[in-house]
Amino acid sequence: MNKIMWTRSAAITAIAMLTAPTALANGYRERHVQVEVAKSTMRVTPVRDWNSLSIRPGKKAETWTLDGEQLNDVTFYAGIAPGEPLIRESSKKHTPLPKFTSETLLVEIPELLEGTYRTEKGIGAFSVTGSNPDHFLGHDGIRFTYDYVDRDNLPRKGEARAAVIKGQLYMATFDAPRLHYFDATLDDFRILTDSAVL
Amino acid sequence: MRKGVAGLVATTVAVLSSAAYAASNIAPLPPPYIGAYQPVGVDEIGAWREADEDERMLVNSPIVIRDEALNAYVRQVLCNTVGNDRCKAARIYIMRVPVFNASMSPNGTMRVNSGLLLRMRNEAELATILGHEFGHFERRHTLMKWKATRSATDLLSWAQVFAALGNSYQSHTNFNDLELSVYGRIYRFGRDQEREADALGLGYLNASALRPQAASAVWQNLMNEQEASASAKGVKKPNFTKIAFFASHPPEGERAAAMMTLADPAGENRENGAARYAAALAPLLPSFLDDQIKLNDFGASDYILSALAINGWTARLLLARGDLYRARGNPRDLVQAAEFYGKAVEVDATMPEAQRGLGLSLIKTGRRTEGQAALQRYLELKPNAADAAMIKMLAPAAGGQ
Repeated sequence: MNKIMWTRSAAITAIAMLTAPTALANGYRERHVQVEVAKSTMRVTPVRDWNSLSIRPGKKAETWTLDGEQLNDVTFYAGIAPGEPLIRESSKKHTPLPKFTSETLLVEIPELLEGTYRTEKGIGAFSVTGSNPDHFLGHDGIRFTYDYVDRDNLPRKGEARAAVIKGQLYMATFDAPRLHYFDATLDDFRILTDSAVL
Repeated sequence: MRKGVAGLVATTVAVLSSAAYAASNIAPLPPPYIGAYQPVGVDEIGAWREADEDERMLVNSPIVIRDEALNAYVRQVLCNTVGNDRCKAARIYIMRVPVFNASMSPNGTMRVNSGLLLRMRNEAELATILGHEFGHFERRHTLMKWKATRSATDLLSWAQVFAALGNSYQSHTNFNDLELSVYGRIYRFGRDQEREADALGLGYLNASALRPQAASAVWQNLMNEQEASASAKGVKKPNFTKIAFFASHPPEGERAAAMMTLADPAGENRENGAARYAAALAPLLPSFLDDQIKLNDFGASDYILSALAINGWTARLLLARGDLYRARGNPRDLVQAAEFYGKAVEVDATMPEAQRGLGLSLIKTGRRTEGQAALQRYLELKPNAADAAMIKMLAPAAGGQ
């Protein structure tokens, strides 16, 4: 019995060691090449090179970064249907995330993102600092800004754009440390999301 | 020499406390305070240095709540509980973390979470926690736990070497058994320290002007909250009498019962300082409530709100309840949310957030015109709101936009 267990765990370790490098390969998003994001029909055309992380926060989400997700984090959410959370729930039963619903109004999208961040990260300090009507993916949408302190105690700022199209939520968020990184990459985020089409 | 005196004092205290325990189960009065001490030995000096470094980071942390009045109040409760001489050894930091917790470092840094303050119902309950944490500090538990863990894991490292040398299935099995028993001991050691700190905390409370029976309520309320949370999520209720193998604290059921036994019956008629506590917390209550509501733990949040509303639902509590129901967002929740916001507006018509919540939930339940009227009142009350432009789209003023 023990011997079988040992062999089995050795085999699993070997497989894990062989497959891990490919599973963790991050993507290179070359400039001027249109690319689909978040496994959806949403496409963007970057004007500078980006990295796409292979670990995605959710089935319908994808993260891009320049220097690492803790320094600049662009996350696309595409086609979130009513009843679904924005990101993968670590425990559906014990720590459920707030869900997008068919009644969710555009003005409530910041609250949805706030609830998701607070629940997932267990943070106390988060505030929405502004929200305005905006066009995103050629539809009426919302652009909003927020501040929060992440678990690493670093104050961060964020900007997000969202639209509800055919009952599904499409959104792009940009999060970066308040000091230097947010202002340094904000324009890149705006240009990137301006290029988004469905 | 100093070591000798300290040792003598410690022995005397130990003898006295065990005698008191023998006479009854009531927690003994706190031993005389030995006074500020400096760390002794490499282990303790090292632990203090680490704690000092953590504190340097903590001082500048953006999540420390710097509200002067609240800090002064919590400090006063600690001083009243453990006495002015002991109190000087502690520096309190109130953290904006919406979780029930408090801790104390070996150098006297006490951290108290905002989530804990939200859950306490009176001064005596707060004093229970502060006294408990101070008890850990006074008995230098962190250092002892660290030492115990180190020697236990040292043992494991050696055992691993021998198991590898033996390299038979039997030696691996033996090693696994040893590993389990060593880890079991580490966690049991932790639980025993918690029990000691509970007893010490109750000792302070028995000697204070507050009602020591409140201590038991802390754990009772926590159990009720966890039950409410589990029932709203539809998951199995936690078992409060079972000790999990890796649990660092005794089960809540045991603690609630133990606290009741340790409390001095003579203190039954003392005050618990509920009014003072509510007054001290009032200015920060809205933000603490907001932090809790947005954690998306429906059952726990509803339980906390109902507990706070024991003397009646205030506009602020009704607003929070509306937010809670609107966030969950089932159709029946939205109807109830509109009702709670409506009541909040009845109590206080000048609260912009209640008008906003009322407007949004009415629109979502199909009562568009009424909803728009509430949103317009929101804009009148808070014309510079961060979301004013978005709200204007939902509720265009007469004459259009």
